[in-house]
Amino acid sequence: MRSVIGIIFGNTRSDLLQGLTRERPIAAVPFGGKFRILDFPLSSFVNTGIRTVGLITPQHYRPVLDHTGAGRDWYLDRKAGGLFILPGANHGLINEQSQFNIKDLALNIEFLEKDVSENVVIANCNQVYNLNYRDALNFHEKKQADITMLYKESEYPGDLEERIILSLGDGQTVQALAHQEESPLSLRPYFIDMFIIRRKLLLELIKGYKTIDKVDILEAMKDNLDVLKVYAFKVDTYIGRIRSVLDYFNRNMDLLKPEIRKELLLSKNQLFTKIRDKPPTFYGLSANVRDSLLTGDCSVEGDIEHSILSRGAVIKPGAKIKNCILLQKCFIGENAILENVILDKFVEVKAGNVLKGSMDNPLVISKRSVI
Amino acid sequence: MLKKECVAMLLAGGQGSRLGSLTRNIAKPAVPFGGKYRIIDFSLSNCSNSNIDTVGVLTQYKPFVLNSYIGAGAAWDLDRAFGGVNILPPYMGETEGSWYKGTANAIYQNINFINYYDPDYVLIISGDHIYKMNYAALIDYHKEKEAEVTISTLEVPWKEASRFGILSVDEDYRITEFQEKPPYPVSNLASMGVYLFNWSILKEALFEDELDEGSEHDFGKNVIPSLLNKGRRLYAYSFQGYWKDVGTIESYYEANMEVLRSKDSIDIFDSEFRIFSNDIVQTPHYVGAEAKIENSLISNGCVVLGEVYNSILAPGVYVGEASQVRDSIVFHHAKIETDSYIERAIIGEKTEIQSHCIIRAKEKNSSDSSEITVVQDHHIIPKGTVL
Repeated sequence: MRSVIGIIFGNTRSDLLQGLTRERPIAAVPFGGKFRILDFPLSSFVNTGIRTVGLITPQHYRPVLDHTGAGRDWYLDRKAGGLFILPGANHGLINEQSQFNIKDLALNIEFLEKDVSENVVIANCNQVYNLNYRDALNFHEKKQADITMLYKESEYPGDLEERIILSLGDGQTVQALAHQEESPLSLRPYFIDMFIIRRKLLLELIKGYKTIDKVDILEAMKDNLDVLKVYAFKVDTYIGRIRSVLDYFNRNMDLLKPEIRKELLLSKNQLFTKIRDKPPTFYGLSANVRDSLLTGDCSVEGDIEHSILSRGAVIKPGAKIKNCILLQKCFIGENAILENVILDKFVEVKAGNVLKGSMDNPLVISKRSVI
Repeated sequence: MLKKECVAMLLAGGQGSRLGSLTRNIAKPAVPFGGKYRIIDFSLSNCSNSNIDTVGVLTQYKPFVLNSYIGAGAAWDLDRAFGGVNILPPYMGETEGSWYKGTANAIYQNINFINYYDPDYVLIISGDHIYKMNYAALIDYHKEKEAEVTISTLEVPWKEASRFGILSVDEDYRITEFQEKPPYPVSNLASMGVYLFNWSILKEALFEDELDEGSEHDFGKNVIPSLLNKGRRLYAYSFQGYWKDVGTIESYYEANMEVLRSKDSIDIFDSEFRIFSNDIVQTPHYVGAEAKIENSLISNGCVVLGEVYNSILAPGVYVGEASQVRDSIVFHHAKIETDSYIERAIIGEKTEIQSHCIIRAKEKNSSDSSEITVVQDHHIIPKGTVL
């Protein structure tokens, strides 16, 4: 796949994640006990065989760079190609709809100009999935498409909310891009924020539109839909979009379902992440853990049910944790009770305290809180 | 000219025959330990934590797993352009070549490797000990005593002293006597198999030892006694802390179980002096709805649907529904299917225990001294087997 490069828009907006994105962009939000959301698009590119990846950084990019380093854990520290950090533009206030801002690419146009690849795969960064783009790329070449948009089908309003609905013509051509209507009556094909575009076409679009402030590649596409060969490619993989705290909670909990865990984490396309090399997790004599995912370096002496724990958690005897997500290094004191709670990193819950959220509205405790 | 102050030579060629089927397919230093680690991680992490960035690893017995595990040493931050980890197998010259005939001979055959780095000191360490040691403190002590050889020592229980190289020292800790495995030990100060030499002294001693036809080419048996006889300045360094030679199945099993009582053992959780391993990305481990885990270490990538007590599970182990694992060590990616019972056993890498198997020591009456069952790696134990 030398003829393909990848670009991740690591600056996807995330206004609805409360405390989780106060100090970090959504790309760096921890997920599934040991991953970060960026790992999913990045690993999917690497598993496709893409050896050159440009990562457009969000404004507050320290946690992102802390995670990626030079890209070694994704085998992207290369002499030829590798991981390129592309500083994103300073946007100020823009609408959430905008995902693929041309200004971000215009600032980094050299990355695209000096490359010789035929195609570019572009993805945003608020979804968890394990996808191999090889089939989509083959389709793109077979159709001699200028652009191939990836889509799924659904009739549920939750899936379609804030999505772009595609009108498809013969042979999977895209006739129109529209925002979702109020209440769909049947299956609708919706764009999943990933597409393949010819590099030279992308360069032309950037050059043509860069003088206009805040314009999205999708708008440029829409303008030129009648002169471009735009196709749509359907995927059936699990795509877990995270736009809200509830999304975040539910997509994490999806991992406790064997079939989703298998597809996302245990597929032959391995998920890569920064390797921490921590010791195994210790279970004490009073530990009672059921239906949960735990990462290394935890010390468990309490009860845990239907929860996901990141590394370094300490759970004291008598503590009861149910339906919770604990990010790194949380400390739960004796007899504390937690239900439907998301604890950010380094949260300490003192002995005997009770924290409860609801299934529909999980409680988020922000980083370094002591309760 | 580029040079290094100290080069470490890590002896990892031993067959470890007393570990029985644990080392049938791999060298002893590559045997898993404490869940995700391998025995050699401790020595390599010690080098890394002591700022010794040039390590020669002497291998010859079934080296594939060990060599691929060590790779370029990046996992221990030991990948360097000048220095780093170098794997040193025996090799052929124009006219001759041979296997390593002993610890001293292994170093002798690699004199050119050490000369390349032109070091002041050479540290000889072993790849089959479990301990945490800052070698920099040993080097400082060596300089302070103006020693030519410094041997790291610890006090062992008298009844075990005859298993070790035993030293006698004067009040300045200068070594006056050295006996390898004496039947009647005169002291309980034991050598840990960690030697620091001035390179010039070691080189000369190696040339002499090579010419001595009666020599077994062993540091403890030949080189150290001969230097002592010549009146060289040999000093003992007194090491404080946990140190364990995992040379036998019993000591290996015991050392692992001690990790579960981490207060009096090697502290793998200490973030100040970390033990590194060549880790790969594994998913978090999953604990099933009917599972029960007590007093155990569980690594990433495991799936536990049954019960696990007082045991250590390496990455990727699967324990099926209604199976029980007690007082056991299970290596990487072993699979234990449903309704099996395993007690006081060591289960090899990628071994598959099918359903309804029972594996435990034959004599149930004396639990302390009862035998440990070892199931070799890559085996399949068929359904319903009772061992």
